[in-house]
Amino acid sequence: MRLTRRDRLVLLAPLAILLGGWLLVPALVGLAATLTTYSPLSTTVAFVGGQNYGRVIADPQYRAAVRNIVIFTLVAVPLELSLGFAIAYLLRRPIWARSWWRILLLLPWLVSPIAGGVMWHYLLGGATGILDFGLGWLGQPETASPIGDVHLALPTAIAVEVWRVTPFVTFLLLPGLASIPEERWEQATLAGAPLHRRVLDIAVPEMLPLLLTVGMLLVGLSLGAFDTVLILTGGGPGTATLTPALYSYDRSFVTNDWPIGAASAWLIAAAVGLVGAAYVQLSRRWSAA
Amino acid sequence: MVGCVSGRREAAIRLLLLVAITAGFLLPLAWTALASLGVLPDNSSRPPSWRGRATLDHFSEIGLAEPAFWQELATSTVAALVAACVTVAVSFPAAFALARSRFPGNRTLTQAFLVLASLPAMAYVIPLSDLSRRVHLIDTLAGVTLSEAAVTAPLAVFVLHGSLARLTTEWEEAAVIDGAGLARILARVVLPVAAPSVAATLLVMFVLDWNLLLVPLVLTSGEVKTIPVALSDFFTFERELDWPTAAAALIVSLAPLAALVALFHQALESFTLRAPTSTDIG
Repeated sequence: MRLTRRDRLVLLAPLAILLGGWLLVPALVGLAATLTTYSPLSTTVAFVGGQNYGRVIADPQYRAAVRNIVIFTLVAVPLELSLGFAIAYLLRRPIWARSWWRILLLLPWLVSPIAGGVMWHYLLGGATGILDFGLGWLGQPETASPIGDVHLALPTAIAVEVWRVTPFVTFLLLPGLASIPEERWEQATLAGAPLHRRVLDIAVPEMLPLLLTVGMLLVGLSLGAFDTVLILTGGGPGTATLTPALYSYDRSFVTNDWPIGAASAWLIAAAVGLVGAAYVQLSRRWSAA
Repeated sequence: MVGCVSGRREAAIRLLLLVAITAGFLLPLAWTALASLGVLPDNSSRPPSWRGRATLDHFSEIGLAEPAFWQELATSTVAALVAACVTVAVSFPAAFALARSRFPGNRTLTQAFLVLASLPAMAYVIPLSDLSRRVHLIDTLAGVTLSEAAVTAPLAVFVLHGSLARLTTEWEEAAVIDGAGLARILARVVLPVAAPSVAATLLVMFVLDWNLLLVPLVLTSGEVKTIPVALSDFFTFERELDWPTAAAALIVSLAPLAALVALFHQALESFTLRAPTSTDIG
């Protein structure tokens, strides 16, 4: 139906009020504040230009956090996408008790990141954990929690995140995968195409917009990773699992260095904005082709 | 013709793989569920053995370790429920307006909602808590609820836009000819057709709201706590908690979501993330 200008205004106004008041205005106020010495506790405000950003970028802790999040994103997102796709592929066609597999396989995503952190903290470290149990069966001695190890902490945090997010990816990809007509798979099978060719030639082109959309969400989530590591490792040992969002949280609420916390948060937002611009460009190109 | 035998063999392989993968993903949760019942492994014996008799005592111990736990569970439920309803109520008309308008940049605007949904909360929570304090919404259930609703709204708009753009407009046109107004068309014509995806969106938003940490965390100084905030407070201040009691709390906070998903799994199948295309109905 054709909407008049007034219709559109009425339909969009509630969203504009909610997003404006609780998301956009705070975000823009925060952005403006990063150029000043403003903090909720201070009484005087001075304009300092890019000084806060300069201090953040020069901080070795922040640099470590950026290094960690780049590794985190580059490892976690492809793993989540490919594992999630593989599970969706198994669930693609009718199978015995399909609804139940779908429900059960969504459960890890229902665990909040913070609860997941608490859970894995005990499972990996506790004397009654899963790790020592497994090692015990293999006849190996008990081991210290990988969370406390400088080299193993980041891979462990990534593994926990992949465990939690992969089920969500399966959930998002399954409708797209299931909507590809069965005949196309059968034709390719008859033509003797091996599994990887069938997936690359049939599923991937068909699902490109969806994969791109899910990828965008995952990269955004990963760049803002915070609650997964908060309890699991607290960013440690040292700075082994520090993420930019955790750095920002720490500066804002623990050491009360508000301008630094806000500036570092906006650097993450800028990174997500860049990825978002790439997403808009890519999806335009692919839907035009 | 692909032989019937090889088809059956393939189905069996798929099922086996599914069982293995599901078992792998659920093992940590099963471990936690057993611990909450007081069934713990003894890792020092060789081979490791299990000890403890199943009991529900640890569930009552939650209230001793964190006296406000059941209150926090109620707060989480109310906040997530109201927030999910507000999100969908606000996003549905907006998504309809976007799906039925053609103007330059319409598609980019819709995609911008997805980018906004991916924006890390850290970018705006600090001023959000500051502004909320100034308008006296800090430490109130209303403040937490509205903020949660705003955080999840961009994703809801994107998802609902995808399902509304795909619907045929025939019924709407017929209703226009019959002289129905905008509100009536939205409630009586569009909503019934889009009901499955609206229900699915509602459920997913509830899960997202239930699990939010940063936003409710910065909006409260302890009066209105949701479960994730309580968990984070508890463990940040290094209070040690017995693993079986912690496990019981985790199971209790997971159970409502699991029950909802199991009850409404059919509705969930209508949750489709669909990127806007150039062929969308205008």
